[in-house]
Amino acid sequence: MLQGFFEAMGQWPISQAIGASIWIYPLVQAVHLVFLAFFAGGIVIVDLRLLGYGMRSKTIAQVARDARPWMILGFLGLVATGLPQLMQNATREYFSEFFWYKMYLIGFGLIFLVTVRRKITQGAEATAASKVVGLISMAIWTGVTITARLIGLFT
Amino acid sequence: MAELMMPLRNVFQWVSELPTSIAIRESLFFSPYLTVAHVISMCLFAGLIVMMDLRLLGIGNMSTPFSEVQKRLFPWQMLGMGLSSVTGLTLTYSDPMRFYVNIFFWTKMLVMVLAGINAMAFHYITYNSVVRWDTRSTTPFGARLSGALSILLWAVVIVSGRLIPYNWFQN
Repeated sequence: MLQGFFEAMGQWPISQAIGASIWIYPLVQAVHLVFLAFFAGGIVIVDLRLLGYGMRSKTIAQVARDARPWMILGFLGLVATGLPQLMQNATREYFSEFFWYKMYLIGFGLIFLVTVRRKITQGAEATAASKVVGLISMAIWTGVTITARLIGLFT
Repeated sequence: MAELMMPLRNVFQWVSELPTSIAIRESLFFSPYLTVAHVISMCLFAGLIVMMDLRLLGIGNMSTPFSEVQKRLFPWQMLGMGLSSVTGLTLTYSDPMRFYVNIFFWTKMLVMVLAGINAMAFHYITYNSVVRWDTRSTTPFGARLSGALSILLWAVVIVSGRLIPYNWFQN
């Protein structure tokens, strides 16, 4: 069923249009990385604080509140520039194991972000628990970036 | 112009014939791993540079004084820059002639120099008056200009870096 959907998606006129242009796809790939910088910055600045580094004169909650809009902006930009890449490559990505690893990791990362990490970023000072959460968060999003890059390199 | 560039071309040519350069070029997994590490280190470097730039623009991380943002993020930015440089230089070392003829590679190098000049100019001019605007909700024009230029220039670096595989302008 999912395979049928991916094959159909690859045939959409807009997917075909992206594939027909020599520069749309590369530029979308490139802008995806600019949004990645915003998202990664918004994540890392908070994760560092959770680990007891970074802007220690402010509470974890303050650092997290300041970073949130930029993290969300980065994520929305990543989705907006990720979808056209998926549409143009639908069938290839369906058969790429790295694509699915990336999707599972993003799913897990988002659930972790709005549950455990959200709770711990309401605290003031770094604790043993916040350090574990910071490390897990960094590990998940690093994993997303690694699997993302491997889609292009090994499929 | 072509003649002026000859010494540089010779250096790239010479590197491309070194045994270690050839070995990395011919290994199946080394350069993909380097590419992945380059992207991860870019996240650390560019991510934290952008966070600092938003503070300079007066639109992000405003609960923290600028000098604190700068001081606390600096070591991590430098770690990111170090890892990006090592992975990037090794990638260049492994296939110099591929990069020598690539317009996006040279665009990236040039714009990185401009971003460096922008950072230096900020450090030696606007940053001197930081005590006057460290905790203010609006930052001075010089700070906003440096922040905007920094985001713009690093975005161009990232974009031109990603476009290197697309050699539209080569025959």
